[in-house]
Amino acid sequence: MMQTNSMQATAKERPVSTLEHTSARSEGRKDQWSQMLVKVGKSQDRQAYHALFQHFAPQLKYYAMANGLASHAEELVQEVFVSIWRRSCLYDWRKAAASTWIFTIARNQRIDMLRKMQRTSAEMPIETEDLWQIPGDNENEPVTSLHRLMSERRIRESLKHLPEEQTTVIAKVYMENKSHQMVANELNIPLGTVKSRVRLALNKLKVILQDQNP
Amino acid sequence: MTQHHPDSFSLMEYSAGNLTEPHALCIRLHLDQCSHCRSRVDMLDSLGAIMMEQQPQVSVADTTFDSILARIDEGPGPDQVEAQQRRSVGPLQKLLGNDLDSLPWKRQLGDVSVLDISDRFPGQTEQVVLQKLTAGGKAPTHTHRGEETTIVLQGAFADNKGIFNQWDFVVLNQQDEHKPIALEGDDCITLSVLSAPVKLTGTFTRLLNPFIR
Ligand SMILES: [Zn+2]
Repeated sequence: MMQTNSMQATAKERPVSTLEHTSARSEGRKDQWSQMLVKVGKSQDRQAYHALFQHFAPQLKYYAMANGLASHAEELVQEVFVSIWRRSCLYDWRKAAASTWIFTIARNQRIDMLRKMQRTSAEMPIETEDLWQIPGDNENEPVTSLHRLMSERRIRESLKHLPEEQTTVIAKVYMENKSHQMVANELNIPLGTVKSRVRLALNKLKVILQDQNP
Repeated sequence: MTQHHPDSFSLMEYSAGNLTEPHALCIRLHLDQCSHCRSRVDMLDSLGAIMMEQQPQVSVADTTFDSILARIDEGPGPDQVEAQQRRSVGPLQKLLGNDLDSLPWKRQLGDVSVLDISDRFPGQTEQVVLQKLTAGGKAPTHTHRGEETTIVLQGAFADNKGIFNQWDFVVLNQQDEHKPIALEGDDCITLSVLSAPVKLTGTFTRLLNPFIR
């Protein structure tokens, strides 16, 4: 039944359907937030920018609060969004989903804010970005957009099936700015146990490709 | 191509932004040259984004977006930012200049020279040390105190675990006893971060890493 329909459609309007198919497929690879971020970068689209704000700002605010910036949470949200605007022209949807790109900006801004708060009179010779921003102009990256998208979907899917003890550890590392050692101390378990939970999780998420020091 | 990579735990802590500056520098220098680890960090960054998305959300004040709009209207436009990015210099040059050989090295023993650069990282408790082993030179057998993270900046050295080339990454601890030899060609220069501050015991000042301890 399905097959007959599609065969007819193909026979009738082949050129149109192929065209639509191609554009639908390449658009489909870009999620809605990535599409909006591209619009901000290309044409300074403020409507798209506002939509991004409505979606990401509440996440970023929680991120700031969980990461020891409770009294500066709104400030971090502002810094991240100003940075999103200014850097949007560098955004390449084939290399990262908007959510991933925004996460790295939030991480860098968080580090930068904490650094500036703790900074004594001595100036640091290197900036936060020197340490945490990987140059974006590696044009010959081996990771294709399709591969990137697949690994993102896989991570999102597999995360649902991880045992809670594994996600808890990962959440503490990412959301509470804790080292594996600090997580071990807090949960009162050996460092080896924390590491084996992370290793099991990363194996399932297929993030571990090859490890020299298991 | 680099053969020795940081482990997943270090890359995860880098991605989460939890590493100290000297450790982050070692990872960053490796990532600059290793597309394999770069793609692992990309995946870890996605994991971070998904973790962030799955947390509770906190509503943001209505005025915040207006303040942001006011700021972007004043600030530099996106294209100027891009130009700025293109001009940027790598972290190693910023920190050490262009010529590693002209640094004020201190000869320690025979083929080994060191330079402590901990003061370039104000507020950090870790010791950060550059070490140079003359091309073809040998370091005495030694073990390590605490955990030390090392990246090869120039040349290469070999020990019982293999050959470590430029941008290779190695973590050594108390259990590792080795006798590194610099390969012929360039002097071998490494950057090391010592997690535990070195306690000096005995009459002799202990020599610094990674070749000697
Ligand atoms: Zn690597």
